[in-house]
Amino acid sequence: MSYEIPMGPYHPGLEEPYKLDMICEGETVKDAKLHIGFNFRGIEHLAETRNYIQVIALMERVCGICSFIHTLTLCQAMEKLTGQTAPPRAQYIRVVMGELERLHSHVLWAGIAAKLMGFKTMFMTCFEIREKVMDVLQAISGNRVNYAMNCVGGVNRDVEDPQSILSMVDALEKEMQKTIIPIFTTSKTATSRCAGIGVLTTEKARSLGVVGPVARASGIGQDLRKEAPYAAYAEMDFDVPVVPDGDVRARLLVRALEIMESCKILRQALTKMPNGELVCQDSKFNFLKLSASTATARVEAPRGEVMYSVSWKEGSRMPSRVHVRTPTYVNMPSVRFMVQGARLADTPLIQASVDPCYSCTDR
Amino acid sequence: MNAVDITPDEILDAEPDAYSEKGGVFWYGDAGLNVRDVARAMNSVGARFITITTYELPANGGFRLEYHWDLMGNLLGFTFPLAANSVESIYDLCEAADWIEREVHEEYRIDFTGREYEPLLLREGGVCGVNLQKEVVQ
Repeated sequence: MSYEIPMGPYHPGLEEPYKLDMICEGETVKDAKLHIGFNFRGIEHLAETRNYIQVIALMERVCGICSFIHTLTLCQAMEKLTGQTAPPRAQYIRVVMGELERLHSHVLWAGIAAKLMGFKTMFMTCFEIREKVMDVLQAISGNRVNYAMNCVGGVNRDVEDPQSILSMVDALEKEMQKTIIPIFTTSKTATSRCAGIGVLTTEKARSLGVVGPVARASGIGQDLRKEAPYAAYAEMDFDVPVVPDGDVRARLLVRALEIMESCKILRQALTKMPNGELVCQDSKFNFLKLSASTATARVEAPRGEVMYSVSWKEGSRMPSRVHVRTPTYVNMPSVRFMVQGARLADTPLIQASVDPCYSCTDR
Repeated sequence: MNAVDITPDEILDAEPDAYSEKGGVFWYGDAGLNVRDVARAMNSVGARFITITTYELPANGGFRLEYHWDLMGNLLGFTFPLAANSVESIYDLCEAADWIEREVHEEYRIDFTGREYEPLLLREGGVCGVNLQKEVVQ
């Protein structure tokens, strides 16, 4: 006999608004239905009522974790519209901020995953590390969440003390190698809760078009930083970690390895950062003179590919359309297939392993 | 170029007149393309479906749908003007289009024919089209 168990709309692990109705037989989940839209904000509609400066501040609010990535993607699209290119130093600063945001996001996720495993000491360790990353982000931008770093044609603030960031990167890398990666990969608690749980096969991952660490943990080596480099990523030497297993452990491992790669990228960007301007000479571009056109930009956010399409109407101060495709929006449908056949008790961790962001989804 | 017959090499090594590169997208084909033929062609070359961007045209001119696909890091775009509020669904050919089609339906009241879809309920209690369509018929 099957019965339906509703989980949500306020998730017990992630405390975000979505609902999963699970059809169970005994303790085994047979199928699931996902419901979203509990906090839909209509940001794409709001964007049509904001001018070319206000829209950057608005789109920064799409996501609280990867707010920098959203403005970066928007500004890159707007730079294509206006034919501007950010100067080299700004491109490097964009890489530094992007990777710090990835560290902050991945370490936060590792902490939450540890909490859901029942591993609360690891949760505290991860959040202590995350706090150090947040301190660096605050030191650069003055803010902990919405950094206001990007503008059309460059960045608003400089990285004045690269050396202090390097010491944080060293400390983080050491802690990852010494504590977090060995515990997550070898401890019985982590292994028994994660290995073989919530499997998404490579074929299914391709079919669903999943992105980011979810795709890479199912054996698909896609990463826009390599495939379609933006900012200064073409000048960075790094690897894209790919694990073929497709289970929760693989998603955990991919993110842990990505933290190490982010440290590698940060070290290169901070040591090779060229001197120069932060904003291109034409940054005072007059959007009112822009002829009607559309531009699209994509960026590899911590959770996967973010895409912005921006359309401008001739003689307007405001965009006629801003379309955002966020990574969680394409990753979440995969949860239905991950939980099929899983034990009910494993489903919070399986859902969390996607690292869903409902701020992005209900944009 | 007929999008139905394309191969990855043909796309990536295509003559410049087969596509136009604009605003970060390689735009292929012409107005006569069929959305399902394009989906089949993209599947055959291993492209990844990204999203559908919808534009409401001024003066009740209908809609323009832009289908975006990724092929080895290249962003490909196919445009489909809609005079009416319906277009064939590609969900049966491309599972990744499921939520995207449902979202477009709720935002613009565009029907994707040939599939059933339960609402995403992005705005529970609101009528379809209320999110982004300028003129919503109640």
